[in-house]
Amino acid sequence: MAGVLLGLAAALAGCQREERQLRLDPPIADALDKIALMPNRIGGAPPDVYFVLGRPYEVNAYNLSQGKRLYAWFGCKSCHGDGRGGSGPGFLDGWWSYGPEMVSIFASIRDGRPHGMPAFGGKMTTDQIWQLAGYVQTIGSYEGKTAAPSRNDEKQTRPAENRAPAKLLFDEGPSPVHPDQGPTP
Amino acid sequence: MNRPVAAPDTRDIDIERTRLTDALAETWKTPSGIWGALATVDHKIIGRRYIFTAFVFLALGGVLAALMRIQLAQPEARLLGPDRYNQIFTMHGANMMFLFAVPVMEAVAVYLVPLMVGTRNIAFPRLNAFSYWIYLAGGTLLWTAFALDMGPDVGWFAYVPLSGPQYGAGKRADIWAQMITFTEISALAVAVELVVTIFKQRAPGMTLDRIPVFVWAMLVTSFLVIMAMPAIVLESTSLILDRLVGTHFFNPAEGGDVLLWQHLFWFFGHPEVYIIFLPAAGMVSTMIEPFARRPAFGYLGLVMALIATGILAFGLWVHHMFVAGLPRLGDSFFTASSMAIAIPAGIQVFCWLATLWDGRLVFKTPLLFIIGFIVTFVIGGLTGVMVASVPFDTQVHDTYFVVAHFHYVLIGGAVFPLLAAIHYWFPKLTGRMMSEALGQWSFWLIFVGFNATFFPMHILGLEGMPRRVYTYQPDLPWHGLNLFISLSAVILIAGFLLFFINAIRSARVGEVALDNPWDAPTLEWATTSPPPSYNFAMIPVVGSLHPLWDDRDSLAVANGLRTDRRELVVTTLAAAEPQAREASPRNSIWPLWAAIATAIMLIWSIFSPWAVVWGSVPVAVALIGWFWPKGAPEDES
Repeated sequence: MAGVLLGLAAALAGCQREERQLRLDPPIADALDKIALMPNRIGGAPPDVYFVLGRPYEVNAYNLSQGKRLYAWFGCKSCHGDGRGGSGPGFLDGWWSYGPEMVSIFASIRDGRPHGMPAFGGKMTTDQIWQLAGYVQTIGSYEGKTAAPSRNDEKQTRPAENRAPAKLLFDEGPSPVHPDQGPTP
Repeated sequence: MNRPVAAPDTRDIDIERTRLTDALAETWKTPSGIWGALATVDHKIIGRRYIFTAFVFLALGGVLAALMRIQLAQPEARLLGPDRYNQIFTMHGANMMFLFAVPVMEAVAVYLVPLMVGTRNIAFPRLNAFSYWIYLAGGTLLWTAFALDMGPDVGWFAYVPLSGPQYGAGKRADIWAQMITFTEISALAVAVELVVTIFKQRAPGMTLDRIPVFVWAMLVTSFLVIMAMPAIVLESTSLILDRLVGTHFFNPAEGGDVLLWQHLFWFFGHPEVYIIFLPAAGMVSTMIEPFARRPAFGYLGLVMALIATGILAFGLWVHHMFVAGLPRLGDSFFTASSMAIAIPAGIQVFCWLATLWDGRLVFKTPLLFIIGFIVTFVIGGLTGVMVASVPFDTQVHDTYFVVAHFHYVLIGGAVFPLLAAIHYWFPKLTGRMMSEALGQWSFWLIFVGFNATFFPMHILGLEGMPRRVYTYQPDLPWHGLNLFISLSAVILIAGFLLFFINAIRSARVGEVALDNPWDAPTLEWATTSPPPSYNFAMIPVVGSLHPLWDDRDSLAVANGLRTDRRELVVTTLAAAEPQAREASPRNSIWPLWAAIATAIMLIWSIFSPWAVVWGSVPVAVALIGWFWPKGAPEDES
């Protein structure tokens, strides 16, 4: 009985969070590719289908963990490290050069950005880009998501994503706030 | 409230029968209504609930098995996708092992052991109530999660790294681990109750060599539970810690160990097989007597075989890990110890055969299931000896050969005796007989259906079909046998359906049972069917292994117990000489509150480590309420 009540409480979130969509229908994948960006390519709106699906790339555990694997497989680590940055910017310090919205991150991965961020649009499927974007956003999140991945079986350099490392590792740094780069965290 | 301890008017000496039973019924009753049902600590009511719930889980697990057989009936079937199939085979295994097989054996013992040893309630009856609620909560957790697409999908033994934080996305593996925690708690609670009941509450005169074999089997099983379960307590907790807060128990890069998982799991998992099998063997040894019309051959051998199996059970676990790359010497040692298990198993089989050989057999449904059990279990045992050999195991590891082997051992070795036991003890459980005609039909359907379903799996395994595949390609040579297996499964399912129909129908309109319908020799048949709340109006005194056969007309009884409060006799461990009159706890609602508080803490802790801190507060409150001294008569020494 207690199990039922608590189970039902977790139910609404649970269903969506645990589903595993192994292959997107091609028309949906096409629709997901059609984001509306602001003219400065920062911020914008995801396609309607993204909301119809229930924002699957932010709340679904499987998508987030796939994003984490893609982060390793596509060499994101070589510039962004474990999320604290390297030759590229970090995600853990709480500062987003192009804002923390999913569409901005999606656009950064798909189309690339100035100063060295390559475009991955031709190398990954739309589904994968969304998964990776969701994971990157999760790294910098100040609240541990229940659906966020936990640690990997490797040397640990920082707390895993489900422990909200950005809350611990926030670093204002020397650079001032850039209002033109989107809302501050 | 405090009356003088020896107030003569409340003892059961020199009191007429009806006044005695009226007084006892008042003292031991479970009040009607929902509150009474929730607060009861009567081992018979709780035992029946346990058995009923376990059979519900059996039926649910059977539905999953049927889904898998439909999916595998033809190549490239589209009924289930790979993700759903992963959840279904994991749920089937975890459900059958943790929610059906182990609990149902303990459930039967919760009901029968106090009756068989001639006492009025199980030891620690409130703990018993708690263990049932915890078990129910664990089962509900697993099935609710499955309904939410959140069912575990990592196999019933959930090997890391697949179930670990890197590859087990979401909360699915945590659901598995926490369901294990629930069943561990309930199994450990029941094991402790049974050990104490068997050691200290036996009827006067029931010396160690007069204990029914089923009770011996439950004693050995309870010790197995107590020694094996801590390994998996440790393990499921480490897994949740790894996954939730990022500890490194199973992370080799930080000094953890992946193989540690397999060792811990099978150090529990292999005794688990005997936790399921030994009660079944004990049931057979006990049930065989009334149907062979003679005492079981070789009582000493049967009991020693149970104990030997229990000890050997802890020296076999590595045979599940022959392909994990352990040192050769280790493999050889565990091959030898695995084969050694054939000795006590063989002793039991030959004792049963000798009993049947010399007996005047009464071919009722329970005996049919017993014979079916002997045949099936021997086949399963033979393939067991085969897979105990490293080179052979290396070939068939993770194929359908192994699936066939363990279904022969578990269904043949445990479910057949259990079905025999349900038919046999049904009158004691419900007061009514099960239909003999339907029983025989269900036996033949189950026996034929089972062998036709699982024997071909040996061949499939030798042909290389791996287990846990959700489909296979049409050009592989497996589809003929798979179709045959799926069709045979229909017969097996029909047999189980018939059994369920028989049980439900008989419970309502079956022939009313006599106290001892099988003319059986053990104490549970000395009382009415079903027994009254106090089990025995007078505590029986036992003079032999078969009290109802040797003292047919006049069973000796002891008196001197109070009738106005719950009392039972405590006896010495070996000789069962009366030691003391001991109070037995009254009904209480606190076990339910404690179980609810524990369930909330355990389920919450899947999502946040803080649950252990804040969730422990209600648990503490419930336990304080549970143990609050009340100054009532039950607290008298």
